[in-house]
Amino acid sequence: MTRHRLTGAALAAALLAGPAAAQVTVLGWPGGPEETALRAVAEMYNAREDVADEDKVELLFTSRDGFFDKLQVDLAAGSTAFDANLIATYSIGRYAPFMEPITLSDEAQDVFGETVLSTMQFDGEQYGVPTDLSLHFLYYRGDLIEALLADEAAAELYGDISEEFLGERLAPKSPEEWTWDDFAANALYFSQSVNPDSPTRYGTVIQMKNLLFNMMVFHSWPRSYGADWMDAEGALTMDSAAWREALETAKLLYDAGATPPDSTSYEYAEANTAFSSGQVAAMVQWNAAATELTGAQPETVAIAPPAGPEGRFTHIHGLGLGLNAAAENKDGARAFLEWLSTEEAALAYARSGGAPGLAGDTAQALADERPDLVQVGDYASNYGFVMNGATSESALSVYEAQAQEFTGYWAGTQDLDTAIANVTASMDELLN
Amino acid sequence: MPRHTRRETAVLAAPLVLFLLAILGFPVILSVVYGLSETTFQTLRSPSFTGLDNFSRVIADDRFWQAAWFSLRFGVITAVLQCALGLFLAVYLAPLIARHGWTVAVLIMPMVVAPAMMGLMYRLSLHEFAGPIPHYMWQWFGWSPAFLNARNVFATVVVAETLQWTPFAFLLLLAAYQTLPRDVAEAARVDGTRPWRLFWKIELPLLMPTLWIALFIRFIDGFRVFDNIYTLVGSGPGGITTSMSIYIYEAFLRQGDIGRALAAAILLFGAAFTLLSLAQRLGRRRRAA
Amino acid sequence: MKLHSVLRWAVFAVAAFVMNFPILATLVTALKPPGEVTRNPSLWIESPTLENFAIVLTVSDRLNIYAYLFNSLTAALIGAILPILLCFPVAWALARRGTGRAVLFPLVVNLRALPLIIFAIPLYIMYATLGLLDTRVGLGLILAVVNLPLAFLLIVNAIQAIPLELEEAARMDGARLPRILRRVVLPLCRPAFLTTFIFGFITAWNEFLFGLMLTTQKAVPVTVGASFFFATSGGGVQWGVAAAVMIVAALPPLVLGVVMYRRIGGSMLGGAVKG
Repeated sequence: MTRHRLTGAALAAALLAGPAAAQVTVLGWPGGPEETALRAVAEMYNAREDVADEDKVELLFTSRDGFFDKLQVDLAAGSTAFDANLIATYSIGRYAPFMEPITLSDEAQDVFGETVLSTMQFDGEQYGVPTDLSLHFLYYRGDLIEALLADEAAAELYGDISEEFLGERLAPKSPEEWTWDDFAANALYFSQSVNPDSPTRYGTVIQMKNLLFNMMVFHSWPRSYGADWMDAEGALTMDSAAWREALETAKLLYDAGATPPDSTSYEYAEANTAFSSGQVAAMVQWNAAATELTGAQPETVAIAPPAGPEGRFTHIHGLGLGLNAAAENKDGARAFLEWLSTEEAALAYARSGGAPGLAGDTAQALADERPDLVQVGDYASNYGFVMNGATSESALSVYEAQAQEFTGYWAGTQDLDTAIANVTASMDELLN
Repeated sequence: MPRHTRRETAVLAAPLVLFLLAILGFPVILSVVYGLSETTFQTLRSPSFTGLDNFSRVIADDRFWQAAWFSLRFGVITAVLQCALGLFLAVYLAPLIARHGWTVAVLIMPMVVAPAMMGLMYRLSLHEFAGPIPHYMWQWFGWSPAFLNARNVFATVVVAETLQWTPFAFLLLLAAYQTLPRDVAEAARVDGTRPWRLFWKIELPLLMPTLWIALFIRFIDGFRVFDNIYTLVGSGPGGITTSMSIYIYEAFLRQGDIGRALAAAILLFGAAFTLLSLAQRLGRRRRAA
Repeated sequence: MKLHSVLRWAVFAVAAFVMNFPILATLVTALKPPGEVTRNPSLWIESPTLENFAIVLTVSDRLNIYAYLFNSLTAALIGAILPILLCFPVAWALARRGTGRAVLFPLVVNLRALPLIIFAIPLYIMYATLGLLDTRVGLGLILAVVNLPLAFLLIVNAIQAIPLELEEAARMDGARLPRILRRVVLPLCRPAFLTTFIFGFITAWNEFLFGLMLTTQKAVPVTVGASFFFATSGGGVQWGVAAAVMIVAALPPLVLGVVMYRRIGGSMLGGAVKG
């Protein structure tokens, strides 16, 4: 009997076991290179002699699915499950009420530069240490483009196709010089629905699933025509020629079969799988996909997204770590975050596969090992943009509303005027 | 009832009643409070009372009605398809099953797999470049339908739901079919009644009560669908696969509009409750008749 | 006669193949090496391998499948056993004395018909206050609510089927109620308990919505854990590994269902017809 009761008690204890006490618990961005890198620097930090046992870092990783939603609820509920947590540029405004500003190391200014630090600021306060910078690359199959450029008969057909679909006769060009019109012409040329002899089934793959991240990938396109969420006075500017131009051309590509017909259910994974299968000629995708895509198709080249009349742009946002206002070990968390903003930590983070936006000497120190980081830093400072309003409290909801309406337009469930009117109405409610 | 018996009964009922009060009582109060307030995650601890405002917002929201319409259509269509298929399988395969019971185990496998898993499995099976279905379509016909585009996605989720839950209707109807009195069928056969006629005139009427129950249960499960649609396509392009459950989930977590989410949930509860009472009254009348 | 038999087998084969196709396709994908999935999406495996399963079953920083399985097991056990404990006494009172016939019984049974999402939100807020968020017990408790309706129905039915004389006889012998319940009623209810348990366990194991909303890290059940492999907006999908996770996650209810299929059929009829 006694023994039974004991096992019962042990079982109950096991079931009720709470989080391990007295550590610094850090909730990170799961599943990608960010996680690998954070694990590496956390190990390095824990090995330091000046870090007391009760201040050692323990990492938490959940799922990306609904990550920001859950984090929002956890923070709002005053969760003590983590001391420091992930924040992103577009979610700072939402989380700021439940977080505390932090102090960075003296080196931070030199290591990251002002632009990158500002991706973690809200209302003039620094809410996080920047860890990763995300932007978009144009990935294309070098072998296919090379063959196209060398083939005069192909150039003729390319011209015919662009004239028929885009109303303008275009000649094949090196992707370095592409405008979005060239991107569209190329997408059509390499699609079997338009050009039955195309070596690939589709010219491009556009992620059109009703999902906020897909809007970020799309934004670089209208931006190069001058699109913004609102003007300097705060008036919404969604009903503009710039937005319409990009939305309509994307729709044209979808309807012409230049992107898979199931694109309206594609997100990152599906799109990469399509490109990896060798049936897609070029796509715009997150910089994080570089390894995967070049691994599957060795001829893949990654450059900055195409240009538009207003110039060349890439949507940027930062990921970082900030302090939970309900944290149980605030001092420990502050110490870790401060250390994370040192050059030592940033370099280690980059060497372990992370993608920090680094400035000047720090970036140069890595030029040989991580040339892509130089590329990321370069594109971020030259082409990077954040939409006006995209760090506000409602930014995520704005992306959500756009995803809902724009994907509806692309999929054909509503026309463009309705989509734009609905987005404007939602954004009006969210931002004003 | 003597007093000690009454006390005894109270003790017997206590565990369940207390459990229900603890785990559902508080949420109900909370639902009502937040449903009548303007609440976001920022103001979780200090909701401001706004009366029926959330309810009028929900009622004025086209998307709410679209979601209701989606769930209704989805529930009715899948329930009918599942019951028709399940009835066919149960009756037609009954002789086979009588001799080889294991065949049932094979047929019910889909329904013991988590619907969320099933959604993911279809996401894999239907992907143009990783899934076998489009692969064979391309190989054999040089073409494959876009299973998940705006035009086809409703049919796709209906088929996915139907294929997973036909076993439920099948199993229910099979159990009922196996308990039908044999002597009637036997007598009819001796009289030379054709099997088809036997089914229509004698067996089907006897199966009707079970068939209604199967339809009702499958309709309910179809109406409240979440898992498999959510993991397969989310809310769909332009939100066309937003079921009632997905609508509430998104209003809560995606849009942070707690008041509207709860108002919608309360309306849904009301609708479900009304439907149930009606169904039960109908059932009682049928039984009484 | 012969023709009909062949036709029946054919119908069975087609139905089994079509309905189980996603499971089959997932299993096939799980047995392919990483490079093969996009190169060869057919059902034929060029170079079969258990590599994906080895990855899944190896504990790593990223994935501890055993933790997910343990979470699911614990929560599903609570969710399957608790309803039986709660319902047994009151089911007897209902069957023999009509207790709760007017309110309690319809209330509980109607829970079956309510969209679960209704409870998810207030429950989340309540759990957050009580510290039950992201715990196996918290998840188990709500899974118990999900299983209450069927448990109540099946146990009431079982008790009603017990001849009253048996209890009377025990009462004549001077046995009091607790003893009668334990010695007479309980043993006769065992088959119903087993059925309730099997059905409840499968339902609880397969539940997704509450797992998605009420857990984040420590109590994540395997249904939600498996969906981690279809990362949203980042992190490439390794289809083979994802497929292997799904197979492992689906295996326990599949085995239980296949072994116990007779009970499931019977329970559904018993539960449904009276309801």
